Amino acid sequence: MAIRWVDGLKRGGVLVLAFVATAFFFLPLLWIVISSFKTQLDLFAIPPKWVFQPTLANYINVLRSDFRAQFANSMAVALASTLFSLLLGSLTAYGFSRYSLRGSSFIQFWILSLRFLPAVAVMVPFFLVFNALRLRDTLLVLFLVYNIFNISFAVWVLKAFFDEIPLELEEAAMLDGYSPLQVFLRVSLPLVRPGLVTTAIFCLIQSLNEFLLALALTVRAAETAPVGLAKLQTFLGTDWGRISAAGTLFMLPVVLFTILVRNELVRGMSFGRMK
Amino acid sequence: MKAARSPLSDGAAVARPAAAVPAIPATSVEAAAGPSGVWLRRLFFVPTLIYLLVMTIFPLLYSLGVSLFDYTMGREARFIGLRNYADLLADPLVWQALRVTLQLTGMAVAIELTLGVALGFVFFQQIPPIPFLRLLVFMPMMLAPLVIGLFWRFLLDQTFGLVNFLLSALGLAPVPWLIHPQFALLSVLIVDVWQWTPFVTLLTVAGLGTVPPELKEAAALDRASGWMRFRHIYWPYLRFPLLLALLFRTIDVMKMFDVPYILTGGGPGNFTTTLSLLAYRYHFQFFQIGKAAAIAWVVVILINIVTNLMVRWLMPRAPQEQVDTGL
Repeated sequence: MAIRWVDGLKRGGVLVLAFVATAFFFLPLLWIVISSFKTQLDLFAIPPKWVFQPTLANYINVLRSDFRAQFANSMAVALASTLFSLLLGSLTAYGFSRYSLRGSSFIQFWILSLRFLPAVAVMVPFFLVFNALRLRDTLLVLFLVYNIFNISFAVWVLKAFFDEIPLELEEAAMLDGYSPLQVFLRVSLPLVRPGLVTTAIFCLIQSLNEFLLALALTVRAAETAPVGLAKLQTFLGTDWGRISAAGTLFMLPVVLFTILVRNELVRGMSFGRMK
Repeated sequence: MKAARSPLSDGAAVARPAAAVPAIPATSVEAAAGPSGVWLRRLFFVPTLIYLLVMTIFPLLYSLGVSLFDYTMGREARFIGLRNYADLLADPLVWQALRVTLQLTGMAVAIELTLGVALGFVFFQQIPPIPFLRLLVFMPMMLAPLVIGLFWRFLLDQTFGLVNFLLSALGLAPVPWLIHPQFALLSVLIVDVWQWTPFVTLLTVAGLGTVPPELKEAAALDRASGWMRFRHIYWPYLRFPLLLALLFRTIDVMKMFDVPYILTGGGPGNFTTTLSLLAYRYHFQFFQIGKAAAIAWVVVILINIVTNLMVRWLMPRAPQEQVDTGL
């Protein structure tokens, strides 16, 4: 009896802690979403208002501004870079999983180390080179640069997925007369489809979230949503209604993506090192 | 299924001799590929390796070159050898940025790991609705740091911010979060802790998922103390995920840019200017590109040193248990 009572207390304590922590990590986000439906007056009310007449004015403002084009830029670059990285990444990941290569472990380590490459280190040279080539402020440049990080991510995460396919399966396919290329295309690649989806979603999120290089390599035409958001906060004073609405719109796809990959968060966030 | 030896080396479960000798096929698939395997291998490796080499080695070398020039916008570039680096040593801005960066790194990593592990034990429980709450808690780390920084600028506003309102509700005085030097640094720290503690929690929950249930039951029967349980039952399974968390967090804080850029602009004064932010400002505000490149190289070298030390000192000595979680 006594032990059961203690267990119940423990359970309750754990639940309380879990709720407090969730409030700490989630309430700020909720507050921004709520704020995005407020009028200018309600936004700056003291004390802050929890009950108010909601308005869509901020969203209408945002959708009429440059933000729409910036959001489209973000999406276009993220999609293009994700597809390209998936293509090269799946080839190389399969190669590392099944084929030998001189210095394989060193090369894999090098590719992994790109995860740690500070963006600021490539900012200066890319700025100078693309400026000289008159390519600065184009989506092409962002595509080329984001590929670095996305390919290295795709290679590692997809390799983890390919490693899980039993060799026997591929051997059986070859006994059936498949060529090695066919084995890759018709047997292994379809089997890692969940891996491809996970990788794609993480690449999309990473590309959408990148800021420093987008800031340094764009001027106006190729500005992405984070750069546009950063510029909303300026000398004219900060329009928090607009920022919270634009921020909410920008968060939306990432939140949906996260819900889609909720079971693969560990694999994605650990660069394929854990499952 | 991943047997993970070190976070960096290849920890794949498919163990095979190091591929130093390409003549020996790695797998039966490769053996069967025969002569056409040469072409296949080119297809698998060449495009990626060329792309990554061209896009990383070239810019790094180029920026190393630039860092040896007095490269100021609107002036002829002039070779000055290591003068930029010598100037950095005498530049109080650089020393301050280095101190800010290291302070932030030390504090953020310490808090995130402690708090993250503790919360990991909470969120590992399967009591409903905890599995659902997990998803809410893991949300911040998926969002753009820039957007997060912007949101917190609003939340930490001295007059209208939610945080000061909550403090006043507790009877506390409003805090000049983004204006006061010490509080500004604390603000940057809070935002990083808020966004990335869940990352440590995620890896902890994953690690705890790998502890065999028999072990936990045995400990419960033995009535082992909390610390003993942690040290002998959980720690062997948490070591690898936490090393990974330590590595990722340390390096990411050391190159932090977005949050101080948008939250405080590096201010007041330069009290929250990190090395990355300083490099950006040397490039885009002072137009001294050579110096910007030199600072960027300092960041690269710093990160390399820290990574190497960590991997060398902390790498699990014995082969790690399989890291496979039901999460």
